[in-house]
Amino acid sequence: MIKDEDIVVVEEPQLSAAERWYIPQIADGMLVTLRHLFKKKLTVHYPEQKRDLVVGNYRGVHRLNRDDQGRVACVACFMCATACPVNCIHIEADEAPWPDREKYPAKFEIDELRCIFCGMCEEACPVDAIELTPVHDLISLSREQMIFDKEKLLEMYDQTKNLKPRKNPQITGYPATGDRREGKPADNEETAA
Amino acid sequence: MSSVTVAMLYMLFALGGVAVYLALPGGQRSARIAGLIFGLSAIAGFAVLAAGHLFGEDVSAVYFCILAAVAIFGAGKVITHPKPVYSALYFVLVVLAVAFLMVMQEAEFLGIALIIVYAGAILVTYVFVIMLAQQSGASAVDGRAREPLLAVLVGFVTMAAVVSQAGHLPGNSTAMVDAPDAALARLAVADGIPAVDEPGEADDEPLGGSNTAQVGFLLFSQYVVALEIAGLLLLLALIGAVALVMKRVPRDVPVAPAPPLGEIGKEVPPF
Amino acid sequence: MIVEWVQGQAQLVFSCLLALVVVGVMLLGVAYSILAERWIAAWVQDRRGPNRAGFFRLFGSFHFWGLGQPIADGGKFFLKEDIIPDNVDKPLFILGPATIFIVALVGFAVIPWGGQVQIGDALLNVQVANPDIGLLYVLGVGSLGVYGVVLGGYASNNKYSFFGGIRATAQMLSYEIPMGLAILVVVLATGQLRLEEIVLSQMGDGDVWNVVRHPLACFLLVVTLFAETSRTPFDMPEAEQELVGGFHTEYSSMKFALFFLAEYAHMITGSAFLMVLFFGGWHIPFVPGLQPGDTAWWAMLLKMLVMAGKIALMMVFYIWVRWTLPRLRFDQLMRLAWKGLVPLGLGLIAFALGMLYIGKPQAWVWTLVGNVVILATMLGITALIPSRVTGRQYDMPELPPRTSAPASIGGP
Repeated sequence: MIKDEDIVVVEEPQLSAAERWYIPQIADGMLVTLRHLFKKKLTVHYPEQKRDLVVGNYRGVHRLNRDDQGRVACVACFMCATACPVNCIHIEADEAPWPDREKYPAKFEIDELRCIFCGMCEEACPVDAIELTPVHDLISLSREQMIFDKEKLLEMYDQTKNLKPRKNPQITGYPATGDRREGKPADNEETAA
Repeated sequence: MSSVTVAMLYMLFALGGVAVYLALPGGQRSARIAGLIFGLSAIAGFAVLAAGHLFGEDVSAVYFCILAAVAIFGAGKVITHPKPVYSALYFVLVVLAVAFLMVMQEAEFLGIALIIVYAGAILVTYVFVIMLAQQSGASAVDGRAREPLLAVLVGFVTMAAVVSQAGHLPGNSTAMVDAPDAALARLAVADGIPAVDEPGEADDEPLGGSNTAQVGFLLFSQYVVALEIAGLLLLLALIGAVALVMKRVPRDVPVAPAPPLGEIGKEVPPF
Repeated sequence: MIVEWVQGQAQLVFSCLLALVVVGVMLLGVAYSILAERWIAAWVQDRRGPNRAGFFRLFGSFHFWGLGQPIADGGKFFLKEDIIPDNVDKPLFILGPATIFIVALVGFAVIPWGGQVQIGDALLNVQVANPDIGLLYVLGVGSLGVYGVVLGGYASNNKYSFFGGIRATAQMLSYEIPMGLAILVVVLATGQLRLEEIVLSQMGDGDVWNVVRHPLACFLLVVTLFAETSRTPFDMPEAEQELVGGFHTEYSSMKFALFFLAEYAHMITGSAFLMVLFFGGWHIPFVPGLQPGDTAWWAMLLKMLVMAGKIALMMVFYIWVRWTLPRLRFDQLMRLAWKGLVPLGLGLIAFALGMLYIGKPQAWVWTLVGNVVILATMLGITALIPSRVTGRQYDMPELPPRTSAPASIGGP
């Protein structure tokens, strides 16, 4: 139901004598567009020039983070695959060859065509191994190329680790985790050594 | 014109009349095809008859023959085509062909005026009206002619009579007598709109040269009464049209009161 | 023998050559006006516009500022699938785009491109044809242009196309009248229908361009040219928000391209016409080489260049207006034509007749004063008649006075 007080009667404004000629208004508009003709352009020549992506939390292509020894940080817990609303993550776990964890992903595949870039996997990951990068120009020549396997995802990490460092929080029981960024003392040094 | 030529002309007109009658919409398919064949043979007959007189004198006679054939063919299609839109478009074709015939007769102003007035304004309005009226497909009235026999008879008898009198037209030349189609075209010019090159008129004027100036001079000297009457007629037609379509809204009859503001939209449940 | 014949028919041969050149240049001009349209649209919106398509990158990575774009567009149009839908009136469906493009092209025949040129002994007109009725020819050909739109709209068997066709008919018929009135002012003043003579009448001793003599008629012609070419703010026939694509909704591939190109061809013809009537054609005052006496071949080329430059300026104006002004509503469009432009045109005609009666049709100081007076009168009348912005209907009942307090939004 529409209430009386919700009704707004908009009186049409009466044009003043000068406005009814329309010509000054038209001239005004023409001047505005003329000024814009010679203004500095806001767009860039895209493939040659690229804008700095200032948004840190842009949700682009995924990457699999490496820990400080260069190993894949993933512990194959399947949290991301479970959280994924479109089931685009496929993981096959195996016994970890390293002593500091039980499992590691023998296979880790993301179908980037199926992915909706919602970032749920990143939210779900307990060790912050999977992250979304700011890389947005994702192209390929075939569908097969768009299925990113473990090597490709790790490669993405190598490409983007300077752009967006790994968060890497400390997790109890998993000594490989923890912030190893410069200037921060490592709290899992003895384990690594 | 020799009597043999005149007799042949009349026969050709009769053939043309039969052709148009047969080809009118609403008839049987075989009859319409026969009408088409008759009509084409009539045009061919005219061409044969005229060929002896036309060729050999001037190359432009070729253009004349082509344009005349297009005009006659188009005129036949205007009458016989079952779809009104196509009829109107064939009318445009006729107007264009006749306009070029006029240009060939050095009556450029009349030719272009014909295009502007007829093709550019009147026929566009025709097409406009037909398009509006034909929204639900063609009506049954369009499918048949109203008085086919009478119309064809009157039309072609008139045409034959006019052509037989072509020799007595003012400003005739031997070429006109020998080429009945040209006489017809000339006659169309003379009828309604005064011909530019009437003897003793335009040629003696000091204006000379410009065709348009001659037409203007004639219109405002010799034919000024006709022009004024035509103008008055158009004005009356305009007033009549306005009077016909104008809907008089009585001022004192109260308009139905608008529902009070709070009620507007209340009968409609939101989504 | 052929050589002698050619010498005897120098004007004919020259006209044929000129026609070939003009049609070629014009088609190129049409293609590049589309690029210009896209560029200016982009610049007005602070973008860069199409700047990629070059010439096969012959010169490394240099793009030629996208000058290859029209060629790429044309290739794309040719290679698209040409769909003729079922249930369309097929002959008329094909006739529509053909008509509109032919009409747009043949209007060019009487435009004077560069005065006269001396070749050998012959003094030739740089004009395809110079008939008595050059001006009427342009009008006549222009009036046929509506058929393409109407046929396209009717034959498509589609309601939106049909609406587009109907709008186009009503609009073009209405705007032909003020257009004719504006042209008639020039004809009355110069007493000529030959376009070449009209150009020459603007460059004698003490003569000025017609735009100085008849600024209001020039304004009238500009406005009506916008309407006749269905350009914004008068592009009702293809108003895409209401009519999908208007009369060319059902067209694809090269048939659509013909409609598209014909619009620009019409614009170029209209611009050339305007320049000849009001801006002195190929003439620029006081510039040597651009005067009627200059008949050398380089003067001809210079004049043609000047003419092309003026046309290009007008095209830029067309495009600039398109990306500035919003579209009119259809009743506003009709009201502008019949209640605004036609009375203005009639006033101008009456004034021009008066000047003719006192024998000074070309005295530009007096015509200018008269124009100012007419303009002041028109503006005074518009200022005195109150009218609502959006054309609210006058017989609507008055709203009852409010009872409750107004809500916060929209209030003053």
